[in-house]
Amino acid sequence: MNPPGWLVDRLPEWARSIRFRYTLLYSAVLFGLAAVVVAAIYLVLVMSLRGEPVSPTYTKRICSNVSDRCVTIDYFQAREFTRFVNSVTLTKLRNYSFGALGVLFVASLGVGWVVAGRVLRPIGRITSVARDIQATDLSRRIELPGPDDELKQLADTFDAMLARLDAAFAAQRQFVADASHELRNPLAIIRTNVDVALADPHADPDELRHTITVVKRASDRMARLVDDLLALARRQEPILEHEPVDLGAAVAEASDDFVVPAAARQIVLDRAIAPDVVVTGDRDALKRAVANLLENAVRLAPARSRIRLATGSEGDRAWIAVADEGPGIAPEDQDRVFDRFWRADKARSRADGGTGLGLAIVRQIAESHGGQVRLQSKPGVGSSFVIWLPVAATPSSTGDSGPAAPSSLAPVATPADRARTRPSFGPPAE
Amino acid sequence: MRVLVVEDEADLADAIARGLRREGYAVDVAYDGDEAVDKASVNDYDVVCLDLNLPRLDGIEVVRRIRADDVGQPTRVLMLTARDSTRDRITGLDEGADDYLVKPFDFDELTARVRALLRRDAGRSGAVLKVGDIELDSSRHEARRDGQQLPLTPKEFALLRYFMSRPGQVLCQEELLEHVWDENADPFTNTVRVTVMTLRRKLADAGDSQPIETVVGRGYRLREQP
Repeated sequence: MNPPGWLVDRLPEWARSIRFRYTLLYSAVLFGLAAVVVAAIYLVLVMSLRGEPVSPTYTKRICSNVSDRCVTIDYFQAREFTRFVNSVTLTKLRNYSFGALGVLFVASLGVGWVVAGRVLRPIGRITSVARDIQATDLSRRIELPGPDDELKQLADTFDAMLARLDAAFAAQRQFVADASHELRNPLAIIRTNVDVALADPHADPDELRHTITVVKRASDRMARLVDDLLALARRQEPILEHEPVDLGAAVAEASDDFVVPAAARQIVLDRAIAPDVVVTGDRDALKRAVANLLENAVRLAPARSRIRLATGSEGDRAWIAVADEGPGIAPEDQDRVFDRFWRADKARSRADGGTGLGLAIVRQIAESHGGQVRLQSKPGVGSSFVIWLPVAATPSSTGDSGPAAPSSLAPVATPADRARTRPSFGPPAE
Repeated sequence: MRVLVVEDEADLADAIARGLRREGYAVDVAYDGDEAVDKASVNDYDVVCLDLNLPRLDGIEVVRRIRADDVGQPTRVLMLTARDSTRDRITGLDEGADDYLVKPFDFDELTARVRALLRRDAGRSGAVLKVGDIELDSSRHEARRDGQQLPLTPKEFALLRYFMSRPGQVLCQEELLEHVWDENADPFTNTVRVTVMTLRRKLADAGDSQPIETVVGRGYRLREQP
């Protein structure tokens, strides 16, 4: 039922509609069927009734004595006369059949047009509402009434798609609103402090120094935020770098930067890094993910606590785990920690320098590598984040290298110790 | 005039407070919603500069509570928001905010809007207050008597502005302390009396009469006619 393109282009608007095509199809099929039936009936009749034109057996001319007029009378045999009647009947039947078929064809066109229109009306409704929705707002739905038939399913599918689109757009809008909010606050700090300092012609050096310190703090914060926003934007797509990465080496390198900051807060950074675990991906991105987790841990963990960092592999999956003895995350917030700009305590973590994007970046990096990140946390006990990544397809790396399982992490902790201080590192529940 | 600045970004709140204090306002600062509601319930603020996005108690909720507490002259609320969506602004204005300013803002615009809000209650349209032969231009921070400029300190200026916004009314020491001094002022010192005294002396130096008279046992009054 798909006419060639050159034909479609020449047709008038109404003849291009699916309604027109269905009408043609319907009436052609109906006409064909009727023609077959009529032809069959006709043939059966032709075979059973032998019809032939007749010629008279003999002719007699009769003349009237009175009026002196003469008529010629043809005489037929009875059998021949029957055949003659049959022949006339068949001819009439044929003519009527052709007529009836013609009427049927015209009628079927009309009926087909009406029926196709009725059947397709919900589609018209779906189209017009969908067009309306995309022009106005995505929060509306088609909500096609009627029984749960194919068209209703189509409309429901559209509705489900609209809901997903709506959610995606809403998330995007929220992100832009959040990002502008986060960028405007440090801007407002800079501008107001500069305005106030400039407006005072007698400002003393201490006051100016204070203003400059505040401006520096705010611009540092903006710089971090812009970095993180760019990192998020760049990693929207799947990773482009596909190089084999020695996970242990990358993690060790990333964690080196945190030895000093951790020591400054008297935090012990335990590292249990398994050698020879190779994953495929972007080395810098993976280092950044580890750095983000460690940064959070170092920032939030209480002084004189312990942060454990470990890597390993289990079957065809590699893992990186970071566990702290920090404040932990309330169960109701655990789904939201990976959301962009989510903060457990807005005021505190912003002042500490958190942008609210660190964990969102971690999740994005894990997912762009075909992996995932899991969190186990108990308020007041600590949090542990585990990044799971598929290991590279080199046979040497999938062996029994490194600790056997994440649960054997942290050689310094006894099982009882571990149970007390942090949730165990189990594989993520899937 | 007493202002409460509610803003969780300490660096921003402190700068706004510093700038407003220099303009002669008595400024208190609250760093979260709870603190703001507490302070607003204890003190009678003329203007509240309120960030909408606050920890603990949302700015909108703070506006609602301030409005619920309003008795007598309403507190004017200027909301500061880093969100520029129209919906946020509409919600804020509907919930009782009087004006809004989108961050980052020009500090001069903030002070101009604060002045405009204060003028609403006084029922005037310009920035210049005039009572008798005293003129006070709050945007240029100048006060004159008989065309002669008065050398006022910020506190004296603020005190004179408060008197001039309520000419003819008897203002007690507690009210002056409440509206012209911030929460750091010690209510048991005679700071109000001393400042009124220096203000009166400067006014007398510039003219031939004393426009601020003492109403014994009740307070002070700025005479409408010299």
